[in-house]
Amino acid sequence: MGIQTVDESHEVSSLAKYFKVWILLFVLSAFSYMVDLFQLQGYLRWTLVLMFMMLKAAFILSVFMHLGLERFALKTLVLLPPGAILVLILFMAVEGQYTTQSREFNFSQLWQQEILDFKDHHSPSE
Amino acid sequence: MQSQSNTSSLQSLVDDWSAEKQAFQVPWGKLMMWIFLLSDTFIFSIFLTAYMNVRISATAPWPNTSEVFALTIGGIHLPLILIAIMTFVLISSSGTMALAVNYAYKNNKKLAVKLMLATAFLGAMFVSMQAFEWSKLISEGVRPWSNPLGAEQFGACFFMITGFHGVHVSAGVIYLCIVAAKILAGHYDGRSLHIVEITGLYWHFVDLVWVFIFALFYLW
Amino acid sequence: MAIVDAGTAIADQPAHMHEPTGWFTQYVWSQDHKVIAIQYGITAIFVGLVALVLSGLMRLQLGFPETFHFIDPNAYLQFVTMHGMIMVIYLLTALLLGGFGNYLIPLMLGARDMVFPYMNMLSFWTYLLSVLILLASFFVTGGPTGAGWTLYPPQAILDGTPGADMGIILMLMSLAVFIVAFTMGGLNYITTILQARTHGMSLMRMPLAIWGIFVATALGLLAFPALLVSAIMMTLDKLLGSSFFMPAIVSLGEKLDYAGGSPVLFQHLFWFFGHPEVYIVALPAFGMVSEVLSVHARKNIFGYRMMVWAIVAIGLLSFVVWAHHMYVSGMSPVFGYFFATTTLIIAVPTAIKVYNWVLTLWRGNIHLTVPMLFAIGFIFTFTHGGLTGLFLGNVVIDLPLSDTYFVVGHFHMVMGVSPIMVLFAAIYHWFPLISGKKLHDGMGKWHFWITFLGTYAIYLPMHYLGFLGVPRRYYAMGDTGFTDTSVQSLNAGITVSALIVGVAQLIFIFNLIYTVRNGKKCERNPWHAASLEWQPAVYPPPHGNWGDKLPIVYRWAYDYSVPDVQQDYIPQNVPQDAINELSKPRGKSL
Repeated sequence: MGIQTVDESHEVSSLAKYFKVWILLFVLSAFSYMVDLFQLQGYLRWTLVLMFMMLKAAFILSVFMHLGLERFALKTLVLLPPGAILVLILFMAVEGQYTTQSREFNFSQLWQQEILDFKDHHSPSE
Repeated sequence: MQSQSNTSSLQSLVDDWSAEKQAFQVPWGKLMMWIFLLSDTFIFSIFLTAYMNVRISATAPWPNTSEVFALTIGGIHLPLILIAIMTFVLISSSGTMALAVNYAYKNNKKLAVKLMLATAFLGAMFVSMQAFEWSKLISEGVRPWSNPLGAEQFGACFFMITGFHGVHVSAGVIYLCIVAAKILAGHYDGRSLHIVEITGLYWHFVDLVWVFIFALFYLW
Repeated sequence: MAIVDAGTAIADQPAHMHEPTGWFTQYVWSQDHKVIAIQYGITAIFVGLVALVLSGLMRLQLGFPETFHFIDPNAYLQFVTMHGMIMVIYLLTALLLGGFGNYLIPLMLGARDMVFPYMNMLSFWTYLLSVLILLASFFVTGGPTGAGWTLYPPQAILDGTPGADMGIILMLMSLAVFIVAFTMGGLNYITTILQARTHGMSLMRMPLAIWGIFVATALGLLAFPALLVSAIMMTLDKLLGSSFFMPAIVSLGEKLDYAGGSPVLFQHLFWFFGHPEVYIVALPAFGMVSEVLSVHARKNIFGYRMMVWAIVAIGLLSFVVWAHHMYVSGMSPVFGYFFATTTLIIAVPTAIKVYNWVLTLWRGNIHLTVPMLFAIGFIFTFTHGGLTGLFLGNVVIDLPLSDTYFVVGHFHMVMGVSPIMVLFAAIYHWFPLISGKKLHDGMGKWHFWITFLGTYAIYLPMHYLGFLGVPRRYYAMGDTGFTDTSVQSLNAGITVSALIVGVAQLIFIFNLIYTVRNGKKCERNPWHAASLEWQPAVYPPPHGNWGDKLPIVYRWAYDYSVPDVQQDYIPQNVPQDAINELSKPRGKSL
């Protein structure tokens, strides 16, 4: 039949590489745990958390899932479509801020007071 | 395959997409698994995006995850320790899975099956720890519909996202056991053990999702 | 090294592997893509007829209010909801991808079957399950949900909305099951198109129908997750009382136990699915109509590469236009700039496609067969629906027109009538292949003219109603004061046209049954089409499609009106030297 030619290069990647990455993943996880343990806050915390997250994801994808050994076409197939999600994340972050702002505005003490005043002046008992 | 080294990656992209018969030099099952995982990536990403949105716009304060998931072991107060252990268990399982794939391609069936069962065992361990974590939170009064610690959405997001991930892990454990049993029964004799790599892709993906949940839900 | 994985690679095995072993495996638990396609098709047309009856009932109420007492406001809202949901998801998506996708992909690509036939079979049975769950909601207490097909919370799950107890739960369950079915089918379509083409079939030789189905399936696999996630979250809100989409709310004079959720989030997630869904329906239709136009105008499709890239561009852009459905939702107002811009940009590749269809017809040898009539009808309805889309894409024009009949007219023209025109064109066009018999011509022409003219009689007045400010989803207008008296007479007119069009579909159903039972065997390749699906020796093609040897493809699918060859077309699987042989005698006589 011969339809399915298969990349056999996966076989040759040596065991040592897996062990190295395995240990590296442990170390990176320990680092991100330490970020919390030492209660780092603010931008430093977010930067470190995201950096360790991306590094771990990259190692799992490229070594454990063999994406690094695949041809460029498969890499693009896997890595490009999630771009659509980035657009959604961006807009949902903006939208979340906007929702919070409108809640703060509409439910603020000042605004509430004005509504109450309005009701006082226009209550049917008067 | 030999020409791969002396052509640029962009050229190989064009070559692959303009080829006759097939665009990717991988087995059908493997390509299907990749595309399925892509679809699943969207599911988890949208879960996390929704979590981000409700967290930003929540009116009540968000609980401090570091304290919520803390345990006191032997008199020492350790923040987030259970989650850290769960992370280590899941990464260990990814390691054994990677070795299983390697031995499968070296045609060492017995060792591959043993490693797959070890992976399944670690996965089951992960799920049981998650069950422990759930019951601890429930005993503290956190529910999908209410949360004494702060924003109601905290409980809802927690149970939904870790629950959906837990279902994936459980399904993965069953999937691993089925494939291991089929290999032992000689179902794949005389053929390449691609199935181990395909199963491995799914398992590593579950680990990958946990990396994001760990960073974005527990550490954020 | 070539390794064949016999466990999964059944489509690559010799023909005898595909032989069914009995009546059940041949017609019921069949793994053959053609049988599965027909199963999908019959189920989809059946639920489509249910939705058609619902629309008839809606029109009766609107045209002649206070006449039909069994249609109360609750029932009306339930009809609206079920009509919309069934038509978009269970008819159009299922018939275009599950039906035609299944039938055409292996045949047009020269494969023996889908790459995972067993999963393909599961896909159909899961789809059937989702349809049964959906139909079951008609028989539970409270009836089906009446939340509108967009299912916006908070109202979708609150008391006071019809079907808020069981109906909405069944609807969400049915959608989740449908998504599972679609994923199983979709993985199959994509993998087959990418990996199981025959010799010589490069991606740029694929017929446009396959390109449309391919990109639409990819969109589906990436967009349905958003619907799945929002369905899960809404189910949790309904069943467990979580507050993802539910803000603090007072309903029926009672403060409910919800706090802090975001209803706008649901709209974003829904339309992140919903807008690609429009193209999931449109792109296969674009592709299939290109086939029909090219074959019946005896001309190659104009600008094939441009058409392919337009499909791909529309697919990419469809992920960044979703919030143009939400200009009046109360989302962040700055989004309007971005989404209006992207919406107008997506009109560019769409317009390219329309120009190319028209240019395909230009100076073609047009045969006004029934499929061709429907295809030309599609160009009209799609252009009209698309132009009103440009109006609605702009924020300032959308604000006054939102939630009026203008919107109803617009989306029915562009994604209701247009894909259905293509579906009819496709059924008339490919029926000889599917059954070996040609549908009756006279009945087909009656069917076309009533449907086509009726469409305009129904939807053109709706645009006008929109300008008058008639809101959509209203049970009855009553004495509003702000609408003109002409509204009621227009509504009555629309209802009469809608009923005539609805009844005219019986001609089509009768035609199907009549042809299957009494029709004569037609000649092989009756339309003289060049694409690969018409080249098997017998119609319908047997299990395994191609006999002993897979076909080899030498050219694209559009070699029509080629000078100096005996017939005016060259099938895809005819090599160059065979043509030289054939064309010699005629070349001399010239």
